[in-house]
Amino acid sequence: MSFDSTRSGNSVSNSKRSFNSISSNPYNKTSSSGAKSTNTDKKKKKTNQKTLGMAWGANSRSSSRSAFRNSPFSDFGSYMVLKNKKLHEQFDAEASSSSQSGSASGKSIFHGVSIFVDGYTVPSSQELRGYMLKYGGRFENYFSRHRVTHIICSNLPDSKIKNLRSFSGGLPVVKPTWVQDSVAANKLLSWIPYQLDQLASEIHNQPKLSAFFPLKNIRDSDDVALNLGNQEISETENSSLEYGTLMVANCPEQCDSTEQVDQCGPEFDGLLHVGPTEMILEEPACSVGSHCEPKGAELCDISMLDGMDTGFEPKSISSFQASASVCSCIPDDHNSKESSSSRISLASNQPHSTLVDPDFVENYFKSSRLHFIGTWRNRYRKRFPTSSDGFREKSSCLNASAVVHKTAIIHVDMDCFFVAVVIKNRPELQDKPVAVCHSDSPRGTAEISSANYPARDYGIKAGMFVKDAKARCPHLVIVHYDFGAYEKVADQFYDILHKHCNKVQAVSCDEAFLDVTDSSVEDPQLLASVIRKEILDTTGCTASAGIAGNMLMARLATKTAKPDGQCYIPPEKVDDYLRALPVRALPGIGHVLAEKLKKGQIETCGKLRIISKESLQKDFGVKTGDMLWNYSRGIDNRHVGVIKESKSIGAEVNWGVRFKNTNDAQRFLTNLCKEVSLRLQGCGVLGRSFTLKIKKRRSDAGEPIKYMGHGDCENLSHSITIPMATDELDVIQRTTTQLFGYFQIDVKDIRGMGLQVSKLENTNNGKLVHQRNSILSWLVSTSTKDTDQEKVTSLTKNNDIVGKLNVEGDRGQLCSNHAGPSVRSDASLSAGVSGIRQGVILPPLHDLDVGVIVSLPPDVVAEINDMYGGELTSFISKYKSDMNMSTTSVDSFEGVTSEEKECRPSHLVQSNKFSFDIKCGDEGTPIRPFSASVSENIAVMPSSLSQVDRSVLQQLPQELREDILEFLPAHRRLESVPDALLNPTENQTGCTQFVSANELWIGNPPLWVDKFKVSCCGMLNIFSEMYYRSGHCHLSSILQRLFSEKRVPLDVGTDEWDDAVSCLCELVKQYLELKIQTDIEEVYVCIRLLRRLTKRSKFFGLVCDNILPHLQASVGENYGGTLNVSSVKD
Amino acid sequence: MDRKDNQTPQGESAQILVEFLEVAITSIVFLKGVYPNGAFERRRYMNLVVHKARHPELNEYIRSAVNGLLPFIQKGLVERVAVIFFKDDKVPIERFVFKLNVNQSHGSKVEQADLEFSLRSFLIKLPVSEPMTKVLPRNCRWEITAYFRSLPQTSTIKDAEMWIPTDTRQWQQLPVITPIKSMNSEPLGLQLYLEHPSLSEPKP
Repeated sequence: MSFDSTRSGNSVSNSKRSFNSISSNPYNKTSSSGAKSTNTDKKKKKTNQKTLGMAWGANSRSSSRSAFRNSPFSDFGSYMVLKNKKLHEQFDAEASSSSQSGSASGKSIFHGVSIFVDGYTVPSSQELRGYMLKYGGRFENYFSRHRVTHIICSNLPDSKIKNLRSFSGGLPVVKPTWVQDSVAANKLLSWIPYQLDQLASEIHNQPKLSAFFPLKNIRDSDDVALNLGNQEISETENSSLEYGTLMVANCPEQCDSTEQVDQCGPEFDGLLHVGPTEMILEEPACSVGSHCEPKGAELCDISMLDGMDTGFEPKSISSFQASASVCSCIPDDHNSKESSSSRISLASNQPHSTLVDPDFVENYFKSSRLHFIGTWRNRYRKRFPTSSDGFREKSSCLNASAVVHKTAIIHVDMDCFFVAVVIKNRPELQDKPVAVCHSDSPRGTAEISSANYPARDYGIKAGMFVKDAKARCPHLVIVHYDFGAYEKVADQFYDILHKHCNKVQAVSCDEAFLDVTDSSVEDPQLLASVIRKEILDTTGCTASAGIAGNMLMARLATKTAKPDGQCYIPPEKVDDYLRALPVRALPGIGHVLAEKLKKGQIETCGKLRIISKESLQKDFGVKTGDMLWNYSRGIDNRHVGVIKESKSIGAEVNWGVRFKNTNDAQRFLTNLCKEVSLRLQGCGVLGRSFTLKIKKRRSDAGEPIKYMGHGDCENLSHSITIPMATDELDVIQRTTTQLFGYFQIDVKDIRGMGLQVSKLENTNNGKLVHQRNSILSWLVSTSTKDTDQEKVTSLTKNNDIVGKLNVEGDRGQLCSNHAGPSVRSDASLSAGVSGIRQGVILPPLHDLDVGVIVSLPPDVVAEINDMYGGELTSFISKYKSDMNMSTTSVDSFEGVTSEEKECRPSHLVQSNKFSFDIKCGDEGTPIRPFSASVSENIAVMPSSLSQVDRSVLQQLPQELREDILEFLPAHRRLESVPDALLNPTENQTGCTQFVSANELWIGNPPLWVDKFKVSCCGMLNIFSEMYYRSGHCHLSSILQRLFSEKRVPLDVGTDEWDDAVSCLCELVKQYLELKIQTDIEEVYVCIRLLRRLTKRSKFFGLVCDNILPHLQASVGENYGGTLNVSSVKD
Repeated sequence: MDRKDNQTPQGESAQILVEFLEVAITSIVFLKGVYPNGAFERRRYMNLVVHKARHPELNEYIRSAVNGLLPFIQKGLVERVAVIFFKDDKVPIERFVFKLNVNQSHGSKVEQADLEFSLRSFLIKLPVSEPMTKVLPRNCRWEITAYFRSLPQTSTIKDAEMWIPTDTRQWQQLPVITPIKSMNSEPLGLQLYLEHPSLSEPKP
């Protein structure tokens, strides 16, 4: 390789960019061969692209001066001039040398051609440069409008295509093959056929809709009959909606009726009366401003799809220009006859149509069958809320016992529901092939959504185009949706199911699973036939049923049972049944998976069973593999009634979407937002995450086969998460507009749009949401992800009662919340957290600690009493009498303890606000139940000690502390438990260093401890004892210990008593002086504890009274205020 | 702010403190609900979930205010930093006071981890102190006020120019203090307490 020479030559000119030297060596590269060359080839490509990137930068603006600050050039511009000059010189030099050495070529086919290569090309830019060198062309490293004649590139980014002019400067943009072909042909070929596809297609695009409209308008104003010679054309141009309300075909009456007769066959003859007299104008929006001349031919029934959607509202906003003219149509006669609820829109050829569909989006969904099915579930929930709710609980019990219990599942499915419902009142159609379709246009590009059995015999399937179906079965009758009737039948259907069984899982509006295990009717087969008969009697439609031991088999059985039959697959026959069953028949196996399996020669479940679970999981992923393995064996562990909460709500329109300009798109978006907002409100949820999906026509896609369909599209999406969940139209709209802005897309290319909302929250969880902002969120979220919102909500109700009580279920909180002083604030906190627990179960009466209850405020006692149905008062009085008899029951902790304690892990513990530190403060606390509950709730332990409030931990008794530390994740424990935590006394020596005058607190243990110990006053003895027990030199912790201690000396006004009071006052005073400057919190805690102790003993009352003035003075001195010693919120 | 410039223990801890104050003040403002919750986003600070203002100006106000204090905190001039909530009549309703105590004579190196550990407890305690605070009426305003031990030479320090004398009125009576959290981690001592007008405070 002769890099060196050129490089050195180059480096003189510019040492900064050695890659230029590489790029100026095309011959070395192309001539060299072997592995080495490919290696360098790659490198070159890379560097080369970098160069080009720079080239654009350089060309567009001569900025980035800073990078060249140290170069000898005055600015970037002059540098580039020089560089280009140099490159040209090099090129010329090489060209001359190559043409000399070069073989026969020599011919300058590219004379006068100067190419610039943009981006990655095949062949590479270096090879192209080689061609240019060899054949007399020029190669520009940097783009210049003046020097370059052709731009060579293989593909262009979207942005450049959009701004082609500014990018190319009007120069031809040509594929690299042009160069190669020219060389091969040995002459300069015309570049036109080699024009870049993206651009070519842009030019020879499919006719744009915008082109139609002016044209159509002109035509519209002409005599209608003129333009309707050919209906096909007019339909295309009208770009009317199939799904939407507006199906327009401007066709003379006569022509229409004849056509209809042709299509529908003789049996329709008598029914067909097309004329203005039968027009039903139910849609003000449509009739307004239109003459409604009954020229239309295309019928389109539009039905309401949801109860709430009845009635159209005229809206002035035009959402959709492509929706062509004002709509109107001749009513489908049978529709008008049979169902009053079905909406009929009218096609008119109103001359001055404004290309407006007042509410395309709304209408689109109103007439969409899929939407009907989708929203039906929501309706169903509202209808049977209790059943599905109450059921869930049962199913959880069921989970446990399901294995033992022999289950019986019935799967009920209506037979071709969408057809059957429509034709049930038309006996003449009963045995004829009938299909449901939204449109019966002669063009036949509408898709059949459901066909009855006679039609299926002809091979007609859902999803087929009408024209194909008619080819198979010329006398096929097309009927239209009748959403009102569907709704009615579906409701009847479910009424029957719920009547017979309390465990119903709705799959769709016409399909459900029943768990009849506990049914009173012994034989499920009998039950199934009863249900089926009732359905037939009530609805006039037939249903099939499959009965088996699980949902999978029941569903498969239904397939066998259809139509109008029932099938029972007993467990022993499952194997045989499945052996020959094609895998495709299993639910959950679609085209793709079936294809994959087919490649592996697996076509039946029998064959599928041979494969091990592991290899299935390896080939198809863990979940799918698992499913395949289970299903092929007839195993299905799902339980009836497990209704999945919807994770997202959205609306998507992929049909009939054509925009002329951004305004159209915006209007459409607005309507889409409205729809989504309504749906959110309908479901009672708020969403935080918004995803806008756009279907963009592929650049090479033609007009789709399906009329106004979306054709071949790229799916693009952007999403955004907003801080507060919402269902407000304004917010959604704003967010969506923002999202739409991200796309940078030509609105003309949009073929579909969808807005999806996820991260849903229940509307009624507002309170909860707010709570989430507090400290709770991370306390809980770090460890317990399984916070079940529902449970929490159910609990919040109870919280109303529990109110001020500290509901405490989670051991994990102890460590972070139990900062002694913050009793009150913590109370509210833990009330929320403990919502994680199963729910509030009142502790048994005998578990209550009467001591607590007695000292509770009377209103709280009354509330608790209510909860116990009045038994509490008698219990208390009984307790009191007991107490009188035996005052020596020392064992369990008492005094101000909570009204009950944690007995079982699953038990929810309530403790009142005064006492929640009792558990950590009392030695009598049974450790074992605790650890049990801890291990149960291990997930709520903070994942690291750093989340633990150290002061709390220190205040815990030794055993508890150790327990907690033990439950920290092992790795955390090692790294983060400072010894200090375990030996708090050592750690706290710091606090004694301030001591000067406060001799009582000097030393470790402080002086007073010994002094009190030898004192003859019982109270002082206790104090020093408490000191040792708490292992702490904080007065607050000592008081806290004392608080949980039951032995409080009797109130005896002796000399010793006064002595003790003054001793203690001195102690507290000195402590105050010590702490007031730096730790008002500690002072605060102490004084509050003292005040609380006054309730137990007059002794403390005296101390308190003595201390308070001193304290307030001292606080006033240091903080300019008085300490808040009254209860926070009484 | 380059940490290397503050090699003294006081400087180092002041830097941490300023950062902490920014977070803590934002937390207070969030807690009091002066702005809608959506105006804040969740962030992680000292391994805690805290809130940060989304609005750049709010953010900038808090940030610049506390950062403006940095030189004074280093010198130990700042005694208290208060977050004051008041109504249109400029009479404070509630004050969150951070009382600072920087030990100027402390010489040894700051254990940053210890200090942060102690500061964390404020942030933990703060949200649970909400019941102790007052419910603010609508249309409340708030400000950050710093109390100096002595007036700094305004001319000498540029940062001081950002601080203007407050026109918020004082309470006539001594306020009622409700401590929230105290800590002492040499060389820095910090206490947070609430101040409410005393009951005898004349009603405006």
